[in-house]
Parts: sequence; C-alpha cells; structure tokens
Amino acid sequence: MARTDIESPSLPRKDAVRLPASPYAKRGGLKAGQGRFGMLLLLPAVAAFSLVILVPFLEALWLSFYRYTIEMNAPRWTGLTNYARVLSDSAVLGSLMTTAVFVTLATAFSIFFGLAWAVILNEPFRGRNSLRGLSLLPWIMPATVAAFLWGWIFNSRYGLINAAALEMGLIEFPQAWLSTSSGAMAAVVITKVWLSIPLFMSFFLAGLASLDREQIEAARVDGAGNWHVLRDHVVPHLRPVLLVTVVLGMIGNLQHFDTIWALTGGGPVRATSVLSVEVYRRAFEQWDIGMAATIGVLWVATILPPAYLYLRQLMKGVE
Amino acid sequence: MTIKTTLTAIGLALTLPLAATAEDVEFMTWTYTEENGRPFIDAMIEGFDGEVEPIGYAWGEMTRNTFLRARTDTLPDISQVQARLLPTLANIEQMVDLNTVFDRSQLEAMFPPGFLAFGEIDGRQMALPWIGGTIGMVANEQVMEAAGIAEVPGTLDEFTAALVAIRDSIPNSVPYGLATRNNNSIVLDYLIWVWTHGGEVMLDGEPVVNSPEAVAALEYMVMLVEERLAAPEIDRPDARRLFGQGAMGFYFDAPSAISFAQEFSGDETYGQYVQPMATPVAVADADPVSIQWGHVLVMYGDENATADSAPAEFLMHLLSDNVLVPYASAKGVLPTTTSGQASADITSDPYLTAWAQNAGVPRRNTIAGLSNGAEVATIIGEEVQAAILGQKTAEEAANDMQARLEEAMANAG
Repeated sequence: MARTDIESPSLPRKDAVRLPASPYAKRGGLKAGQGRFGMLLLLPAVAAFSLVILVPFLEALWLSFYRYTIEMNAPRWTGLTNYARVLSDSAVLGSLMTTAVFVTLATAFSIFFGLAWAVILNEPFRGRNSLRGLSLLPWIMPATVAAFLWGWIFNSRYGLINAAALEMGLIEFPQAWLSTSSGAMAAVVITKVWLSIPLFMSFFLAGLASLDREQIEAARVDGAGNWHVLRDHVVPHLRPVLLVTVVLGMIGNLQHFDTIWALTGGGPVRATSVLSVEVYRRAFEQWDIGMAATIGVLWVATILPPAYLYLRQLMKGVE
Repeated sequence: MTIKTTLTAIGLALTLPLAATAEDVEFMTWTYTEENGRPFIDAMIEGFDGEVEPIGYAWGEMTRNTFLRARTDTLPDISQVQARLLPTLANIEQMVDLNTVFDRSQLEAMFPPGFLAFGEIDGRQMALPWIGGTIGMVANEQVMEAAGIAEVPGTLDEFTAALVAIRDSIPNSVPYGLATRNNNSIVLDYLIWVWTHGGEVMLDGEPVVNSPEAVAALEYMVMLVEERLAAPEIDRPDARRLFGQGAMGFYFDAPSAISFAQEFSGDETYGQYVQPMATPVAVADADPVSIQWGHVLVMYGDENATADSAPAEFLMHLLSDNVLVPYASAKGVLPTTTSGQASADITSDPYLTAWAQNAGVPRRNTIAGLSNGAEVATIIGEEVQAAILGQKTAEEAANDMQARLEEAMANAG
C-alpha cells in the first residue's frame, strides 16, 4: 500500500502529529471520494441496464402472474396459473426439448468447426491473411440474409442441393428438405453453425497465438503426430478459451431466433419451435401476453446457468 | 430579453417544425408496401384535398403493429384491415363506431347489405367495406391446355384427374397449390375442403373436426401430397409465383389472383389465362363453396368521429367512385359500393363477372371471428401439416386436432 506524507517513516507512529483536515477534503477520505466517483461513472451504465433490461424483465415477470390476451383491456391477476399451464403444456415442454437439441448440436458443431478452421488458419501458408479476412464474411452478414441464402440452398424447387442431386441422379424427384423434422432441424443448425464459425475461430486463433511453438516442435521431434499434438498440447492450452466459447455458444444459441424464424418459422409442425419462437408465437401471433411472459421467464431460467458459469470464469480471470 | 421571452421564443421554435410537418390524416395500409399497389395509394392521396401521411406495413405485420400502436397510443386515423381480422381488431378501444360518424341511411344507400355487414360487429359499424369478393379457385388455362385438359373440372374426381394430367405432362410442376406451410393459409384451404366434403370445423362454438366428413377432407389433402399433385413448402405467395410462371394449374386465392399472375409472369396480358372457377364438388349436384373475403377501412380516435373531420372526409374520398373503381378494376376485385359495382368499368369486366358467377355459396370464415382465432389456426395448421407430411394418419391428426381445439376453447372461456 502506498504511504502518504502523513505517515512519514521519520516520525514514530505513536508520536505522529495529527494535522488538521483540509477544508476541501471529502467525507470519508480520498478512498471514499474515489468510490463515489466510481459510482458516478457507473450510473449511465446502470441507468441503461435498468431501462433496457431490468425494467422490461421485471415487467415480464409481473405479467407472468396475469392473464392478458388480445381482447382484454387490462391484465387480470391469476397467480401461478400460467406456470401451471406451461408445465402441463406439451407444446412448451416440446419446445424445451427442441431448444436442448438445437443448442447442443449448434454449440458442438460450431466449436468443432471453429477450432478446426482456427488450427488450419494458424499454420503459415501463402494467402493465409486473406483467407482469415474472408472467413469473417458469414459473421458480417445479417442473420436473416444468411437464413434466406440457406433457405434457397434447401428449397425444394429452386434449391442448390436438389439441383445438384437431380443432376447427379441421386434423387428422382425434388425433395422438400425443410418439410421433414430432421431436415428442418439440420438446416437451422447448419445455418447457425455457418454464422458462428468466424466468431469461434477468432477466439481460438487468439488462444493459439500464445501457444509455444517450440514446445510443439519438441513434441514432433519426439515423434508426436498431428492428433497427439492436438490432444496433448493444443487442446490443453486452449482449455480456458474453450470453456468460455462453450458457455458463450450456449447462451447465444439459447437466445437464437432470427434465422430459425426466417428459415422454417418454427416448423414443420413444431420441429424447430425453440423457446424463442414459442415466445414470439404466443406474444405476437396468439396475443397471449401472460403466457408469452411466463415462457419468457422459463427461457431466462434456462440461460441463467451458462451465464453464471461464464461470469464465474470471467471473475476468475480478473482475480 | 427576459427569461420569459426567451422561453417563449424557444417554445415557439420547437413547435414550428411540428406544425410544418403535421399531417391532416395518417393512413395505415399494406397495399402501400406492394409494388403493384403503391401507385394507387399515391394517386388516392394526391387526389385528396388535404395532407395524408401513408404508413405502410407488410400484410403479415399489420395486426401486430396495430396492437403495438394501440398500446403506445400512436394509432393512425384511418387503417386498411383484412375483413376476417376485424373481429380481433375490434377489441381496440380507440376504434370508432362509424354509425356515430355517418348517418345510417347514408351508409345503407352507399353499400349493398351483404358488403355493409363485413364491417358490423355486435350491432356496431366498426368498419366500412372497401374492396371485396370471395376466396375461390382459379385455373391456369395455359397449363390446362399444355396438359390436354379441355374443360374446367367440376367434381372432385374430375379435379383429381386434371391434376394427374398436369403432373404427368409438365415436368417439375405443382399441379395444385395446396397451402402446406403457413398455418393461416392452411386454415383457408382446409375450411374449403371440409365444407366441400360436407363437414364443418365449428358448430355453435364447438369443434367438430373429427367427423367422418372432416376426416375424409383431410385424407383427400393427404392423398394430394402423397401423389405429388400438391407439394410441401407451399404458401400463398409461392402458389401465386408458380401459377404466374406456368408451373401450377389451380390454387385458391382472392380475385386479385389475376394481378399476381400478371406480375409474376412478367406479361401484362397473362390475365387471359386466369380463369375463375367454382370449387370442385364432391357430388355433381352439390353447391360449390368459397369464403367471403374483403378489405375494410376503420377509423381510430374519438377526435376524428365527426363527418366533417379530415379523416372522415378521407374515408369518403377512398370510397368515391372515381377513386375506388379504377383501383378495384386494376386489382381485379369488386368495389363494395353500390354505385361502384354499377359502373361500366365493373359490369363490362369479364373476369369479375366470371368470378361472381363461380363464387357458389360464399361462407363466413368461422375461425377468424373467434377471440382465440390465431391459436385455433395454429392448431389446425399444425395437425394438417402433421397429416400431409406423414407424421400422423389423417384420422389421428383429426382426433388430436379435436382434442387440442376442445382444450383451447375451454381455456378461452
């Protein structure tokens, strides 16, 4: 701790002279003044957070205890009825399962391909920087544009996949890929993975930049192949980054809405109806605001565990 | 300069731009966002003696934006509304009962009773009809000729045979544009086929979708997809495009089908191939069915509820013959006013005449008027999809639909 002039080592502490406080001194001393200044600096962020996130969330929480539909002029208190309905509603429980499938697949494949692409782009070769730049294109592209692009690729009549498969004689008639449960889920996962690879790749590339190349070369001299280098050196080195990307990926995929809505609208039937789509449908198609708010609260509850893990990891880094 | 003078000057300076940009009327419409509709709306606004601000939202966004505006107190003065959605929107408190604005006798003189009823909710005149007609079937004569079909099919058997002929003679075609993707579109096709098979969807507010007739209708829809006479992933816009491109023989639409065919074919004369036809019937003597369809105009805000207010005058302007008839004629739909329908442009239009002759017995959309109509449409759409995509048999889907509808109606109270 830094010493002050008052605590001069030339004077024994018990005989220290107590100097009069400056008339400009802040109450509680310099540290308290700094604390108050810090709080002042925090105020805009706190105000923005309260306005944009906290107040709407509290309002949604409040609405989840009410029945509020299109024909009602004011919400009517129903207590925990909406929660009871949600827990017995097979559509909502199905959406929960669909969300779990989507989040698992989209996160796993995003990390796998993001890591693979980062490892490739970490190697020195001609044109590497250009390829790194081009790899960011899906990230820059608006999500709905990406959804329409993939929608065209999967389209049953004009789609690229059908055209190629028909040309090669693999299918006799055009297939409606988005009209099967598995096809629609595959399409939304592929689209989300394609959008996420650049972000994940950037995380892994940043992690790989600090990898000790001499260590890798030493391992290779000892006879380690690519797989062993990846397993014993690269992955352990990237473990902190990996943890953060898994958690961020889960949070992002739990929140995901736009490409799913643009690509399949949550269908066919309910095959891609994740929680975000369910909330949208209840709120803006069926105008059951109370139920939408309840499902929204449930949705937030699913996001909280990975968010907690992420924050804990961040705080560890700070400590 | 005193503080008071300064504040007054600032106040005036702030209000001047508002005064300069204030419009007499705000008109919310989806037609303004459509390429072939915008010039008409521009012309309507230009012809009005006052300032009108058009507010355009895509058709699918209108209801949501109307409710969001209602909750933020930013409703427009006048708005275009799909007639079948009026019962839902009529819950908005600010919507004006037009019987309090215009003389009832004036309205009865302006509109035939059937069309005036489009805007009536519980004895109140919540809207005035603008353009109207039915949702019925259209045939593409170019496609029929290419498939060797000499006559428009009248019965289900003839219709099925015609679809087979198109499938077998026009590669990569979708013979019939059965709606299979969007729940709101699926419901319309489903209603018509259930009625055609002699069934009902709702009777006295209770669902009856697992009756033998309703199951037979669903089985027919499933067969169409299984035999590649219809296709998955088809919504109304897809059907319009394929029809205009000569890759589809038949589909259900409003009379404006002709303008979409012209637009998507890129040929202004393509309307000659668009043939309104009666919905095929199950047995030869049965009455063909169709669904009542139309656009209505509503007014928001008690401050507008006088006949001499700018919004009320704009409403009458939109319904005047010189504005309405050219618009309706170009869109291939009927004007709703008595004088508009009697005009030479309409009576001499062979397409509109044929449409009216083939409307059969138009029925009211029994789903749209329900307070939980959107939820009911979702349930019907999902179960029909489950059947036509092979996830359930028609009977299983009908039984599941019945159970879900009963629960939904019970929850709605």
